[in-house]
Amino acid sequence: MPAVETRNLTKKYGDVVALDGLDLTVERGELYGLLGPNGSGKTTTIELLTGQRTPTSGSLSVLGIDPVSDPIAVRESVGILPEREDPPSFLTPREYLEFVSDIRGLDNIGSRIEEWARKLQFQGILDTLSSDLSEGERQRVMLAQVFIHEPELVFIDEPLVNLDPLMQAEVKTQLNEYCEAGNTLFLSTHFMEVAEELCTTVGIIAGGRLVAERDPRELDGGLLDTFATEVRLDAERRETAHERIENGNRVEGASTR
Amino acid sequence: MSSLLVFRRMLVEEYRMHTELFGRGRFIGFPLFTAVLVAGGVWLLEATGTNLESIIAGLFVLVFLFGLQVGTIGLIGRDAMRNVLGDVTLLVFSGRTLPISRRKLLATFLLKDLVYYIGLFLTPIAVGFLPLVTADELTLGGVVMLWIALSATFAFGAGASLALAGIATRNVGAIVVLLVSLVGIFLVAPELFVTVSPYGLYANPGIEAAVASFVGVVAVLIAGPLLFEPPTSGGVRRIENRRFTRLADRGGVFFARSLLEVARSSGSVWKVIFSLGILFAVAALVLERVVVATALEPSAGIAFGTLLGLGAFTTYNWVTQLSDNREYLRYPVSYSAVFAGKFRAFLTLSLPTGMGYLAFAGIWYPGFELLLGVLIFPLVSIYVFGVTAYLTGLSPNELLFNTPLFAVYGVALAVVAVPLLVAALAFGEFPLYASLFSLGLAVATAAVGLLLVQASSKKWERSVRAQ
Repeated sequence: MPAVETRNLTKKYGDVVALDGLDLTVERGELYGLLGPNGSGKTTTIELLTGQRTPTSGSLSVLGIDPVSDPIAVRESVGILPEREDPPSFLTPREYLEFVSDIRGLDNIGSRIEEWARKLQFQGILDTLSSDLSEGERQRVMLAQVFIHEPELVFIDEPLVNLDPLMQAEVKTQLNEYCEAGNTLFLSTHFMEVAEELCTTVGIIAGGRLVAERDPRELDGGLLDTFATEVRLDAERRETAHERIENGNRVEGASTR
Repeated sequence: MSSLLVFRRMLVEEYRMHTELFGRGRFIGFPLFTAVLVAGGVWLLEATGTNLESIIAGLFVLVFLFGLQVGTIGLIGRDAMRNVLGDVTLLVFSGRTLPISRRKLLATFLLKDLVYYIGLFLTPIAVGFLPLVTADELTLGGVVMLWIALSATFAFGAGASLALAGIATRNVGAIVVLLVSLVGIFLVAPELFVTVSPYGLYANPGIEAAVASFVGVVAVLIAGPLLFEPPTSGGVRRIENRRFTRLADRGGVFFARSLLEVARSSGSVWKVIFSLGILFAVAALVLERVVVATALEPSAGIAFGTLLGLGAFTTYNWVTQLSDNREYLRYPVSYSAVFAGKFRAFLTLSLPTGMGYLAFAGIWYPGFELLLGVLIFPLVSIYVFGVTAYLTGLSPNELLFNTPLFAVYGVALAVVAVPLLVAALAFGEFPLYASLFSLGLAVATAAVGLLLVQASSKKWERSVRAQ
């Protein structure tokens, strides 16, 4: 059973189609990166998979559970780090992690907090009010709440945002170790180098559809050379050009707009 | 950069923010609804024997208090703004990037608020008095004067709150001395407050009154932006006590978090005491006026219990001020646990505060008469929590300018408040029946409130997920 599976998943916000029949399969133990430009449907995908939103149509399953009918069971099994989310302003990191641990019904809360504070190097600010922390410190606290219950699958929206280079390297190590232990990581990003460096599989999403999927280690020139080719054409030549591009060597999923 | 340009942009920003939040029709319909509500309220109060001058005097007090609240709202905490409105960045917070001084930006923001509230609130309130012109109780000039004086009163409140907040951030001792002095002057010479306030202009129109009242208004409008400093954390705050754990052991983590967020945000628990205190003062004023105007002997217990219970809405506001509907969808928890925690925090804050005010009322009213209030206040508070949770979820500020929601909310409160206040008025004639009726009604409303709390969880979880 795959860790994540979606079939013809569609989500509309009024007249705006955020996801347009997304078909996606993430196997267990994979480090899957969903890569795409702003507004391509990455965040919506994570919100649907974690039961934060309900889809307009289509089916989806996470660890064999349907997030539409049983969102709480999904959230019990996974860790979630949304984009641009801070710990509550008027709690300290220790209090916030106690809050999350209590909701998750964990034991040995104190030692878990100390362990993750050490791993992500924020022991010194455990008792500082979150509103007084820097952006990077808040991101580290948010990362700790993702992993504190040792989930077998985590969803992370832009994992390295606001972190300095040293901490980025540390977090990458943690994420790799996490996946080496047999867990699954689903991350979304619009940074190619992040996806390339971290992921075992990269899915490219554009206009709410999965347009390509690759193992970045098998690519000669890396993701940038492989995917990011933009061709501007006159409208009258577009039909012919599209045909030629699609028939070209090593070209798949080309689209015109 | 021209202040006029910023002013125009701020007006557009305010309009877009409200129409985006509540829908164009709902927002534009709000002034009409306010005018109808005021006209109906004035008619009802007159029909129950309250004289027009008392109604207008009470209105001036309410408008001044509203101005006080509006003056600092939105400037006190960006965290609160973000949680109430979502990811919103307003021009007033752009002082570091725009080529305009912070004080000029703040003054423009204040002016924009004045124009907005005068247009959307105070003009419709004045329009609500127009039916009295046809009944020869007021002249058209009188309504215009009422509009001018009410607008000035609102400006006075908004400017004063900024100035007071500014003094408080600079020197806490100075604000204590100032407030004590003001209370002292009020006790010794209350007429002085009338003379220097815009109400003085309405009560005794003339050049001298105009000068006396507008000098104060202009002074606070200038002093407010000059004195106000945005709150800063004052360094890195470390909290090493185990208060969160202790509170969580007593009432759960949502209870603990809600209480600590109220206690650690601007104004601490004092804002709960202050906002309920305003309601208590209004209730005391209304009760005193009713006694003077109607020669009835209303039950202070039923009246205070009902009005303080309705005022518990402000406490609901405080326990949800930093809540984000979507955040709780990221944890393996149902909304029922969230609402249950908020409910416990709400009761923990509002009940002792309300009971304190009821005890304070014992200075003027017989203790046994207030016993009814001790029973009615918590029951009505539970109802208010249930109605507010059901209609607004964790965003009670949505009531502001959302006309249909505001109307439904008003009706939901009125169906409980009106019979209870009628029972309070009838208490002098039928003490036993009035007591039994009001207690029975309060118990029933509390039961409805509890049902609404339960229904709120399902309603809002479904609604937020479907967005």
